[in-house]
Amino acid sequence: MNQTQRIILYCLAVIASVAWIGISAQPNALTNEFAPQEGFSAPDFTLKTPNGETYTLSELKGKAVLINLWATWCPPCRAEMPAMQKLYEEYQSQGLVILAVNATYQDYPLSIAPFINEYGLTFPILLDETGETAAAYQLRSLPSSYFINRAGIIAEVVIGGPMSEALLRTRIEKILE
Amino acid sequence: MLELFRNIFAPPRHLILLILAVWLGTTLAEKRAERFGVKKDDISAIIYYGFIGFIIGGRLSFILQNIAAFIQSPLSAFSINIDVFDTFGGIVTCIIIALILIQRRQLSFWATADALTPFFAILSIGLSLSRLAAGTAFGIPTSQPWGIDLWNAARHPTQLYAFIASFLIFCLFWFPKQTLPLGVSFLTFAALTAATQIFLGKFRADLTLIFNGIKQEQVISFIVLIVCFVLIEIRLKKISKDKINL
Repeated sequence: MNQTQRIILYCLAVIASVAWIGISAQPNALTNEFAPQEGFSAPDFTLKTPNGETYTLSELKGKAVLINLWATWCPPCRAEMPAMQKLYEEYQSQGLVILAVNATYQDYPLSIAPFINEYGLTFPILLDETGETAAAYQLRSLPSSYFINRAGIIAEVVIGGPMSEALLRTRIEKILE
Repeated sequence: MLELFRNIFAPPRHLILLILAVWLGTTLAEKRAERFGVKKDDISAIIYYGFIGFIIGGRLSFILQNIAAFIQSPLSAFSINIDVFDTFGGIVTCIIIALILIQRRQLSFWATADALTPFFAILSIGLSLSRLAAGTAFGIPTSQPWGIDLWNAARHPTQLYAFIASFLIFCLFWFPKQTLPLGVSFLTFAALTAATQIFLGKFRADLTLIFNGIKQEQVISFIVLIVCFVLIEIRLKKISKDKINL
């Protein structure tokens, strides 16, 4: 291929690319869809605490929400609880809500209350007794954490753990913006 | 089938696919290195130290960007969580280490880049499979019969499109016997990869939108494409000039 042929090829490629980029432009449709993935609206749920108090995720719009799926038998879940409690106390006044959803359908219900006392947890502990919320969040690994911004959009997903205090802090500060 | 694949390689096991790609890519690049006048050991060293640089650089970059958070809990820097990582910082560190090694071992930059092309091609294949396993880099919803069920919708299997494109690009560089002028092999690979990203960008739902819904990654790929075209011409001119001088 000589230089002229190459230049023609480059020009055609550039024109085609510009046109294609223009055709590819689209509005952000993800925010209207619900899925447990970054960029989507967080799937809604209504769950109860051991005391019978009810929490609905969609009612928390305007707040930054951290959903943490966990179980008492899961060592990384236990390891990240103190950091979560510490940061909850620090950022609660700025609009942070932590919803710690216990995978009750695969946990020992009697061990939940001692667990809460042991770690001195003050954020809401919700009981997923049927596994419906875990299914909606396509739970594959415990713990799994979903950082939801004030618009109800999932900003970050952290699968597995334990999350360090600094990682939690950076993610929380991002959704509080 | 897709569900089975995703279950076997569910997060964080999608990393296995990337590590396999690094191993296979290294093996193939070593096999071809002599053809470009580069020693097998030099290729191994660049990939090995580059990989270590990627890991350490990615972690350090994340820490530096969030230094205030790490000052409050310094031990978090040693967390085993892989999310404490900045991919861009890792790539920059990897490139810096590769450049230092190329200079210290007095290697030709373009010959080394050409020799590393099979590695990049296999890494690109591994990346698409890894994304398929993790469910990332997903497509826009489609009613086409080949749509895959992902994130509560039938979507374009953009990871599979990327896999097919990467595989074809790899074949284009691996099977032909003739060698291209120095540096052109790598630059053509980069141009084709950028063109693929521009094309597949239309079907991706996860890309960052900038003004008027234009996708940022497509614009970056477009810039890379133009840079590759310019560099290919510069290389070809230099090579023909060197030939005349000889």
